[in-house]
Amino acid sequence: MQALLRYLRQGRDRIAEYSDSEVSAASITVGSAADRHIQLLGHDVAPKHAAIRPAGDSFAISARRGARVLVNAAPVRTARLTVGDKVEIAGHQLTVIEAPAGFDLALTIQPNEKTAKSEFEGAFKTDLDQTLLSKRRTAWNLFLLISVLTLLVPLATAVVHRTGATTPAWIPDDTFWTAGPLIPAHAQAVGRRCEACHLSFFAPARDRECRQCHTKTADHVSVADLKLTRLGPAARCGVCHEEHNAPDGTLVVRDDSLCVTCHDAAHDKFGTLQVEKVSGFARSIHPLFKASLLTPPPRGSAIVAPLKVTPTGEPLAAAVNWPAVRTPLRTGQEQSHLSFSHKEHLDGNLVQRLSDSAPLGCEDCHTVAADGEHFIPITMARSCSGCHVLAFDDEAPERQLPHGKPREAMLMIEDYYVAKYSNPGRVTAPVAPRQRIPDRPVTTVACPSGTPLTRGRCQANAEIVDQFTRRGCASCHLVSDQGSGDVHERFDVLPVRLGRDYFPDLHFSHRQHAVQKQLTRDAACLSCHKARDSIRSSDLMLPELDKCLECHSDHAARDRVQVRCVSCHAYHFER
Amino acid sequence: MRESVLAYRGARYLWWAVALSAGSIALYCTQGGLQRPNGGSWQGYVLGTVGAALIVWLTLLGVRKRSYRSTLGAVRGWTSAHVYLGMALLVVATLHCAGHFGWNVHTLAYVLMSAVVLSGVAGLYVYFRNPTLIADIRTGGSRAALFAELFELDNQARELAKHCDAVTGSLVKSSIERTTIGGSVLEQLFAADRSRILRIDPNAPNAAAVLVRNTDQQAAINYVSDRLTQAEKRAEPSVLQSLVTVLCRRQVILRSIRRDISLSAWLKIWLDVHVPLTFALLSALTIHILVTFIYW
Repeated sequence: MQALLRYLRQGRDRIAEYSDSEVSAASITVGSAADRHIQLLGHDVAPKHAAIRPAGDSFAISARRGARVLVNAAPVRTARLTVGDKVEIAGHQLTVIEAPAGFDLALTIQPNEKTAKSEFEGAFKTDLDQTLLSKRRTAWNLFLLISVLTLLVPLATAVVHRTGATTPAWIPDDTFWTAGPLIPAHAQAVGRRCEACHLSFFAPARDRECRQCHTKTADHVSVADLKLTRLGPAARCGVCHEEHNAPDGTLVVRDDSLCVTCHDAAHDKFGTLQVEKVSGFARSIHPLFKASLLTPPPRGSAIVAPLKVTPTGEPLAAAVNWPAVRTPLRTGQEQSHLSFSHKEHLDGNLVQRLSDSAPLGCEDCHTVAADGEHFIPITMARSCSGCHVLAFDDEAPERQLPHGKPREAMLMIEDYYVAKYSNPGRVTAPVAPRQRIPDRPVTTVACPSGTPLTRGRCQANAEIVDQFTRRGCASCHLVSDQGSGDVHERFDVLPVRLGRDYFPDLHFSHRQHAVQKQLTRDAACLSCHKARDSIRSSDLMLPELDKCLECHSDHAARDRVQVRCVSCHAYHFER
Repeated sequence: MRESVLAYRGARYLWWAVALSAGSIALYCTQGGLQRPNGGSWQGYVLGTVGAALIVWLTLLGVRKRSYRSTLGAVRGWTSAHVYLGMALLVVATLHCAGHFGWNVHTLAYVLMSAVVLSGVAGLYVYFRNPTLIADIRTGGSRAALFAELFELDNQARELAKHCDAVTGSLVKSSIERTTIGGSVLEQLFAADRSRILRIDPNAPNAAAVLVRNTDQQAAINYVSDRLTQAEKRAEPSVLQSLVTVLCRRQVILRSIRRDISLSAWLKIWLDVHVPLTFALLSALTIHILVTFIYW
């Protein structure tokens, strides 16, 4: 359509001035934007405020949503326009006039003189408040979103999980409430089932759930002992083993306060229990060491053993179980019923290895077990028979007495000598003994006359006495001489009484201590165990506290390796 | 005013914040023993309680600002304390959680808190920087004055364009009509200029008009300048020369307006982050405390 726009302004001296412009367009646009056909300024004028379009044989004005348009002083959204109608937009006056020839529409436009040019800004969005940003709306939306996603939905899943049902992985569940990851072992066992430990809301995880898996872990103090102390009720597992707070993957508490909190006040906390005070690992604040030594039960003790079985399987009727008694190292003595000199065995002038004639070393007899802590038990077969044989007659060195079976040994000796005198031709020629250690000289027994049987028995009795009192068994074992006239009833080899572990409640890795500062191999062993000075089996040879303190300390120090209480001591004991 | 917020009463609250941080660090250092430092120790609970109380108090600044009749201290004092203690909150909360982070609601609360504090720091930065720059742009006037001048220049350019050839006239008119200022959030923040002009391409069939970029009004200025060298009529160079002058002045004004809008937008946008995230934080904080005791 063709439109004539006649701008009417007051010029100088208040004389009206006209300014005409022609527009050819489908509709006449009105607004504050620069691309409008009729550009009107003002805060109340939208960039695209309204439009005038042909409507049948006349025209109609339509305002945008929220834009205020008055037609003949009445607010309208759309209105038909006829000649003479007055449209007012923010004080600007538009009047429909008779269109001259060649025009479809003619308007006079009288701008609001009160409107400043500066209000041109209103044609643009120049402030964030004019955008979709809304602090209030965004704030409440975020508030609700977080409440739903992190509280309500997980809470619903927690309730569902407690019925045994599962929820899809994409739904945020109560694992989003976790205070930290589980340790890997628990994560494998529990997975995403929080309710495995947290059975009830608003209640700490109970010990019962822990004990469902940890069936063999005993309390540090038994329930009976706890009643004798002033320690109060036992703490929950979770007090020490705090899950969701172990980035290194272990729940074991290593801090010394675990122990010294109570043990430093032993006089006050432990009531009638006899517990020594410990404040740390140093002289005067840590008790001297005590070894668990097998000790004969007191006379009249109820500890009478069932049948004891020797390492070779032979029952020892006389054996009783000896209790392990903690004994201070300075006064403690082994009562192993052995006779052995470490000093002699380590003396290269006296003892050499058969294979290379080198002096014996610790590892020739002592082999660290797989746990690195204990040693494989010493046995005749494994540790001694390489050098020591149980031959009893130099003329028949291949004949060996059975180890650990004294009755059989006696019968064997008797059988041998009776047979020897009955049938001398069967005796083989003498050969040099194999062992490197010269045994004590064989006692010559005079059995010159009599029948082969009596001569054989005579010789056998003499040999049995010799084996059980001078050499053979008596070389290593203590033998009880009952003084019986019958040589078969006269001797008892006392059972070996060596404990498996001097410190059964401690951890100590011999393997880790195989290298100490510059010391290695035997030197490292002998720096703690004074075997070169030990000539008796009763010698304990265990190092005291001071030896440990040469290298260790309970606090960080440049020239010491720090140890914690739990480096050596166990807190829980296996049931 | 801006300086007085930080220097309020000899930066009294700076020392409060320093003391609070130092005390929190000292308390944190007493942790250890049976447990690694964490939010569940008694020290952790104390730090957490202090942090939660701080968050609630810091949020109350929004209430205090609207309570004109309040006698609970001057708003300037509240604002100064808000700034300093808000930054101390970062220390308190970090010590509370002892650096334990994970994919959980607790870390969500920490992240939201950090975002709120950092948006506040950003707000502080623009409050110090932008007003000076805006004043420089307005040279003592206002943004409205810049728009008034732009409106006047638009009219001058339109008037001059009437005296030019049809192609130049329509190009200048389109450059005015298709000038963009401000707009969406990002357009305001980054002073985006998506202005276009309709230029008749003489090489196109039927001399079709094509819409081309008119960023920084340079295309329009270049066209009119080129046209100036090819002027044939006697009066044309004078008109074109005036038009170039008007367009160049218009370019300068538009740059100033866009920069003004951008600086003003940055002055506001941080609060559009700060306030909604504060509400999100309040939600996450409440849930953080609640679930701590649900799964004790």
